[in-house]
Amino acid sequence: MDVLIFMVSGTLAAATALIFAAMGELVAEKSGMLNLGIEGMMATGAAMGFVAATVSGSYTVGFMAAAVLGALLSLIFAVLTLVFRANQTASGLAIGILGLGLSSAIGKKFESMTLPGVPDLPLGFLAQIPVIGPMFFQLDVMVYLSILLIFATWYVLNRTKLGLVIRAVGENPQNAHALGLKVVWVRAGCVAFGGAMAGIGGAYMSTAYTPLWAEGMIAGRGWIVVALTVFGTWMVPRVAFGAYLFGSISLLELSIQALGVNVSSQLMSALPYLVTIVMLALISRNTLFIRLNSPASLGATFKL
Amino acid sequence: MIKRTTTLMAAALAAFSALPVAAQDKLKIGFVYPSPIADVGWSAELNAGRLAIEEAFGDKVETVFVENVAEGPDAGRIMNQMAAQGADMIMLGSFGYMNDGIALAERNPDMTFIHASGYKLAPNFGNFQSRNYESSYLVGMAAGDVTETDTVGIVAAFAIPEVIGMINGFALGLQEVNPDVTIKVVWLNSWFDPPKAQDSARALKAQQADVIYSLYQDTPSVVTVAEEEEVWVINTSSDMKEYAPNWLLASQIADWSSHFVKSVQDTMDGTFEGTAFWGGMAEGTVDVKSWSDSISPETMAKITAASDAMKAGEFHPLTGPIMNQAGEMILADGEVIADPDLAGINWLVQGVETPLPN
Repeated sequence: MDVLIFMVSGTLAAATALIFAAMGELVAEKSGMLNLGIEGMMATGAAMGFVAATVSGSYTVGFMAAAVLGALLSLIFAVLTLVFRANQTASGLAIGILGLGLSSAIGKKFESMTLPGVPDLPLGFLAQIPVIGPMFFQLDVMVYLSILLIFATWYVLNRTKLGLVIRAVGENPQNAHALGLKVVWVRAGCVAFGGAMAGIGGAYMSTAYTPLWAEGMIAGRGWIVVALTVFGTWMVPRVAFGAYLFGSISLLELSIQALGVNVSSQLMSALPYLVTIVMLALISRNTLFIRLNSPASLGATFKL
Repeated sequence: MIKRTTTLMAAALAAFSALPVAAQDKLKIGFVYPSPIADVGWSAELNAGRLAIEEAFGDKVETVFVENVAEGPDAGRIMNQMAAQGADMIMLGSFGYMNDGIALAERNPDMTFIHASGYKLAPNFGNFQSRNYESSYLVGMAAGDVTETDTVGIVAAFAIPEVIGMINGFALGLQEVNPDVTIKVVWLNSWFDPPKAQDSARALKAQQADVIYSLYQDTPSVVTVAEEEEVWVINTSSDMKEYAPNWLLASQIADWSSHFVKSVQDTMDGTFEGTAFWGGMAEGTVDVKSWSDSISPETMAKITAASDAMKAGEFHPLTGPIMNQAGEMILADGEVIADPDLAGINWLVQGVETPLPN
């Protein structure tokens, strides 16, 4: 039973950073902006969040600082691609590299320092329920917020005028422009939102999930986020499912090892990546469906 | 990868080009560390050795270092760069730097190399090993004393001989005090992955482990989880008492200063030999710090006795009869493992539940 509680509550926590960054990236991609710098933005957010939380003593300040810096970094990307019309792929990679460098510069003096970690927030009587309580209702506030974010992202993209505008800009920016929509501003806003969410996701890693700063601690999670949005065919529920799947398999790997099962640990280390990609590829194998869902102008430079 | 290489190359370049021209007669020593230097951890201890060299030789030496160097092509480029910039001696701080290092040593017979924990040697390429299994044996005894669930978990980096030797030493110490303990291992296949290390510690706790052995995690990741989850923790490389004031059982430490200083002196004198240095309790290279008060006085007395015997060279933890996980007799009664066998050890003792990765 302990193992089950560990798996479920651990999965929710393990997926939280991915959910934040993936929802942000999803919104950016829906507007036609392929931001490949997520890894760097998460790393910068992790460093900034940790430093700000340590210095100010407030986790709220830490998350806000991480969001602001993530957004600023992504705005550099927006300026490059929207104002100077640089190639999105190259610019995204460059900003990602910049972010990784920035993270080590920000965190240099704080290397291997630790924080107490964002405290758990038991949800009243729900937290008292045996088994279910510790699984779902004794987690930290950011886990609950990440679940809210999934629903909010789905709602905004599919049920509001703002969502329609974002999707129109991502599908056909020329037509959107002809309709009087401000393509550049909408895209810049979506990219900034994506950067802010990546920053918060990174800060979650360094202040809540693993409350310490160590250079390189994002360890490829930003790339998982990019893969999740693509393999999840730009659909909110699938992307979220992918994040939870990735989180649970990465914990399952460790639990299986601890059980003493004779499997190759190297293979197990690769398992979360393999299973997530295979699963998402299987549920998304309808090519017509992919074409309908993928933002038609994704990655293309907007010219009138 | 692109970023890391370029910044590291730039760092190595800047470090050497910053040397004054007049420093030609100084001995230039390069250090390559596998992880960022922090207050604690493996790289921090190696860096303490570098500082000891500067302290001992003053302006007769010029040291530079590059930290957080991934094993593989990156490391090869960094050490070649150091050689190209005129280094006389290079310290390689990770097992995986071995093949690149040997190749470089063969091309540069005038340079000397000291390498951590490998098994290949050349006339100008020595390595240094710590007899960490000695201190592992001692902390294993302590773990056997405090465990109430009779389950102990190990978060281990890579299945290399040094780590395997430490798990064996730990398990034998544990069994000496408490023969019925279950020993579980989680292999991370990484020297540096704090989130995964923490998850592993939690996974082990969920399977009843109440003592966690953090084997070469270069950050306080496991130690902080243990404090939070209220399970005992033992860590390696540095003393991490401040990260777990209530739940740290003991810290295994390593001190490379005397060996580093001696190697530099030998290089200066032209008497450097590419040999394997083994530093243990007797040499003062390894030790245990910050014993918890919760260890029973009887066990503590046993630990002290074993420690004294090892310092006096009278006791080797890997003395037969020892059986491997398959139940095959590896060391007969009274047989002591030979150092070369220890340097290539690839079996775990009976009682460790998790098999070795291939």
